[in-house]
Amino acid sequence: MKVLTPRELPELFAALETPGAHMLAGGTDLLVRLRAAEREGRALPQALVRLDGVAVLRGIVREADGSLRLGAAATHAELLAHPLLRQELPELAAALCELGSPPIRNMGTLGGNICTASPAGDSLPPLMALGAEVELASLAGTRRMALSDFITGPGRTSLKPGEVLTAVIAPPARNFQVRHFEKVGRRGALAVAVVSLAALVRLERGRVAEARLAWGSVGPTVWRCPEAEAALMGQRLTLTALGRVGAIVRENVRPIDDIRASADYRRQVAGNLLLRLAVL
Amino acid sequence: MPRLSPPRADALSKATGAERYAFDVLPEGCLHAGAYRPGAALGVAHGRVRGVDASAALAVPGVLRVLTAADVPGPNLHGIMHKDQPVLCGEVIRHAGDPVALLLAETPEALRAGLAAMRADIEPLPGVFDPEAALKRGAPLVHQGRKDGNLLLRAVIEKGKAKAALKAAAVVVRGEFSTPVQEHAFLETQCGVAQMLPDGILHMTLSTQSPFRDRFEIGGALGLDPFKIRIRAPHLGGGFGGKDGATVQCLLGLAALNTGGKPVRMAWDREESILAGFKRHAVRLRCALGAEADGTLTVFDCRMLFDTGAYAHLGGEVMELSMEHASGPYRVPHVRVEGRCVYTNNPIAGAFRGFGVAQASPAFEGLMDELAAKLGLDPLALRRKNALTRGDENCSGVRLTGSTDLCACLDAVAGHPFWTGREDWRKSAPPFTRRGVGLAAVFNGMGYGRGLPDMAIAKVELTEAGEFLVYNAVADMGQGNASAFALLAAQELNQEAASVGLVMPDTERCHPSGSSSAGRSTYTFGNALVRACAALRHKLISRAAMPFLCDTLDGLELEPGRVVHRPTGRAMPLSVLARFLPHDDRICVAEFLMPVAQDISGSARGFMIGFPHLLFAYAAHLARIELDELTGRVRVCDYVCATDGGRVLTRQGFDQQAQGGAAQGIGFALFEDFRLDQGRTLTSDLTRYLIPTALDVPDTVSLAVDGCEDSGPHGLKGVGEVGLNGPAPAIASALRHCAGLRLRQLPFTPERLLKALSKARPAKARRSA
Amino acid sequence: MMLLFRLNGQSVEVETAPDRRAVDLLRDLGAPHPDVKDVKEGCGTGECGACSVLVDGVHRLSCLMLAAQLAGREVVTASGLGSEAAPHAIQRAFADHGAVQCGFCTPGMAVAAAALLQDNMAPGREDIRRAISGNLCRCTGYVMIVDAIEAAAGKMRSDPSALHEERVASRKAAKSSRKATMPSRKKAGKS
Repeated sequence: MKVLTPRELPELFAALETPGAHMLAGGTDLLVRLRAAEREGRALPQALVRLDGVAVLRGIVREADGSLRLGAAATHAELLAHPLLRQELPELAAALCELGSPPIRNMGTLGGNICTASPAGDSLPPLMALGAEVELASLAGTRRMALSDFITGPGRTSLKPGEVLTAVIAPPARNFQVRHFEKVGRRGALAVAVVSLAALVRLERGRVAEARLAWGSVGPTVWRCPEAEAALMGQRLTLTALGRVGAIVRENVRPIDDIRASADYRRQVAGNLLLRLAVL
Repeated sequence: MPRLSPPRADALSKATGAERYAFDVLPEGCLHAGAYRPGAALGVAHGRVRGVDASAALAVPGVLRVLTAADVPGPNLHGIMHKDQPVLCGEVIRHAGDPVALLLAETPEALRAGLAAMRADIEPLPGVFDPEAALKRGAPLVHQGRKDGNLLLRAVIEKGKAKAALKAAAVVVRGEFSTPVQEHAFLETQCGVAQMLPDGILHMTLSTQSPFRDRFEIGGALGLDPFKIRIRAPHLGGGFGGKDGATVQCLLGLAALNTGGKPVRMAWDREESILAGFKRHAVRLRCALGAEADGTLTVFDCRMLFDTGAYAHLGGEVMELSMEHASGPYRVPHVRVEGRCVYTNNPIAGAFRGFGVAQASPAFEGLMDELAAKLGLDPLALRRKNALTRGDENCSGVRLTGSTDLCACLDAVAGHPFWTGREDWRKSAPPFTRRGVGLAAVFNGMGYGRGLPDMAIAKVELTEAGEFLVYNAVADMGQGNASAFALLAAQELNQEAASVGLVMPDTERCHPSGSSSAGRSTYTFGNALVRACAALRHKLISRAAMPFLCDTLDGLELEPGRVVHRPTGRAMPLSVLARFLPHDDRICVAEFLMPVAQDISGSARGFMIGFPHLLFAYAAHLARIELDELTGRVRVCDYVCATDGGRVLTRQGFDQQAQGGAAQGIGFALFEDFRLDQGRTLTSDLTRYLIPTALDVPDTVSLAVDGCEDSGPHGLKGVGEVGLNGPAPAIASALRHCAGLRLRQLPFTPERLLKALSKARPAKARRSA
Repeated sequence: MMLLFRLNGQSVEVETAPDRRAVDLLRDLGAPHPDVKDVKEGCGTGECGACSVLVDGVHRLSCLMLAAQLAGREVVTASGLGSEAAPHAIQRAFADHGAVQCGFCTPGMAVAAAALLQDNMAPGREDIRRAISGNLCRCTGYVMIVDAIEAAAGKMRSDPSALHEERVASRKAAKSSRKATMPSRKKAGKS
């Protein structure tokens, strides 16, 4: 495999024209998959195009409307070290804190976590709950779309050939009083989420005026439950109310069995995690 | 923070990265060998080998040779007790990791490409993956032509009249337990380097626990003279039992016969290590424990079923040790234990720290908790009441003449604030959380047991430079026995630690001393070494008498770096004395044979070797846990182990064994969920097979019960294994304490716990105060 | 490609395939460069941390890096932190506090510890556990590793001069010239 190291976006776009080229962000997922491909005798990309040299793809900027623009090639550790992240996006910070391990966070990038589009991607539930958008650029220009539209299935995105995920835009969410993320993994670090939940709840006079709930690892992509969100409207975050909504979640969720947990467990826990909102 | 012991001799070289493991040996011009194991990719664990197609692999630049069973010069079978495992399978594969070809390549890259290009035609055969199914009539046979079919070994221990005693018991508790396969997951995978030199000697540097036995395994399988094989065993990057027996050994030997004299390296990657390496046996146990109304144990009855996988390896021996420990470290007059060890098409099981005992402890301790609950007795008091003490007969009817300080272990934890404060802990649980404290009493036999001499032969030399060299003949897999030997020698010879050097195991330079296993390394070799050092000390004093013109040895003493004559104050540096002595005279060799039980009151049938044991280490463990009601996740908040290992040689080494064993035991109890489907390993790498990280185990406190085992070097016993046996029962006990759960199937995954919780308290989660 | 980078204070210039894994390259650099066999491989998939290195002071995994990604970088491995003759305070503490058993994880563990102590000179035990949570150890149960890192931090805070001498000695040994891998004095002052 050739390894290309562009420094600027035009160079990057040119590099992506190389036949058989594949983008290399942090490498924490891609290189593991290439290792498996090599072991199994499957074809490897002809060239890897590094994103870590393109400075414009990193960093956090606050935009005029208060949104945060997160560079897609920023590593998780870089984002976590930025004061704006913990301050403005505590649910995303909580998710990134538990992603992989310290060296994985030093290498892996937000854009990589998104484009891998794993059902268990740790950054995805909080970004979905926030209503984040992605910015995609290519020689043809730049476009923006909702993250929920960008990820189309496990491992599948709307990224076109020659296109690069350049940034993630998270709108402000300061008017949500409850901002919560919980990951259920099988151990304290280096764990793939078995179930995760990001919850943003806006209260008016103690009652739910808006609820955004997003679960990871219970479906092919991040799962939202409009029925549960609707059922929470007007409720106080009591055990009784949350228990009732948890039952709605369990009725609607369609998880699968895999090596980490059964569908039954995921269904049960997807509902249970809501109860935590009662004791925050 | 604990007080500092002298650092281990190997610590700094390892911490600075200077130490060279077998993994790091890469001679100039070294070739690379790799096994082709087609079962996993084809999804076949049992199949007939119809053909192996190496054409595409041989077309890969840098791939030199592809060897198959036809290229194996000897009987092509190895195995410690039963020669039933082919080096390369020619006719049948019996598990998904069986190899059918061996590739030789110039570079690791070429080797990987070559392995990926290999093809095999394997006709699937009906497989058997459940040990009970394997015993049924008409079950597919893993090995053809065996009189007992898939039954490798059946054995029975009988003492007293268990059947009658069960009927007569005032109270009986019963249970079925199961423990899973466990992966050793040593950080250094199986590896080594081999080279056939022009002198006809096959030189090998291996990551092995058993260098001396390896020669016979390799020689036997490949038809070579075992005495023309020289094996060196540098420090291992972990072993835990998984490097006891042939892993890379025979394959590497075969490779070296086909390189035209070039060196060749084999290092399994992690996936191959999990696919083809030895595992802890999965075991099912059905047990009954009977007692009088006051809690005095009267009877224990147990049936065990061991899944040894495709080959015997150490299956029978692991089962025997398990049976010997089945009824726990307690006085039980009537015992019946029946064990069966069965072939299946699952991965090969073998030795793993806690050799069968870790599989038995959840059952005997689970029933003790059950009994305490039934009788309304304090679980610790019940254990103490029945605990074995010196002079008692254990379940095999062995009279315990050695140090037996379980009561002191129990007393140590009984007074610990975690135990005395256990109800406060339970009541202090935050919302959605249960808190509990659990207890376990465990033990572990030491040494090979009767029928297999547990012997070591130590050699110590005064070098020409006047320093000392210990010829360590027992591999150091990380437990620090090599450093312990240097320390023992320094003490015996009255020398500074720095003046004692170590030769690591080398079959040419050291004397056969058995494997690094069974909690025997420091005890058996240490005893031999103490004797060798005493002989050398006497010799050096005697030899010094001549130049000192002394006509008696009175007043002559060995001091650091010199011999002195006290009455006159004269001294002779050892570097000078050494020059008086021919090389042979600067060496002392001594052996030690571990004592065994001579007479037992029970009867045992079906045992091959290794039964019974005379000496045991004991421990009492406490686990303080939190269980999350919403997810079923368990956090081990605190852990305490009080261990009877006789006298403590170095506190640090002792605590290392206790803490490390506890962590592996916590992994076994909570995290390590080895999963198989039709003989295929689903937990095929370290992403799927989860061992504890630093965030998953607590600051384990190690307490030493300072006893003395009179037969041990400086009074010590081996403590390498006992620590692993405690966490599973202690955590089960804590789960019972916090939520009334009776868990009998390991590991205690969040999934199992959540299910158990919902049964214990149905409907929605409550908010605890 | 011709790859230029700095390894443990020395310039390295080596011909390599750009897609070679960094761990393979480092372990087998070939003459005239010494191999750094202290970079271990335990899994090849980023799950064990045995191949940990510092790249421009950042804790990374060399099994998930390509040779090309080392170009122009400063790479430090355990043997670059210190030697037996002049160990780093962390390595000394690992030996003194019993943090080493089989030792195969230890070089990577020392690298993880060094990365932590650059940023936080007074870590609590939980901070330490988090910092080494990407480095698996199968022998120790981690307790003495945490003890050692805690002790090393204490030593580095209380006695920066001793540390400095050690550094000078090891740097002399390595004929290092460029940027140190040690925590800056400014951060040290924070405690």
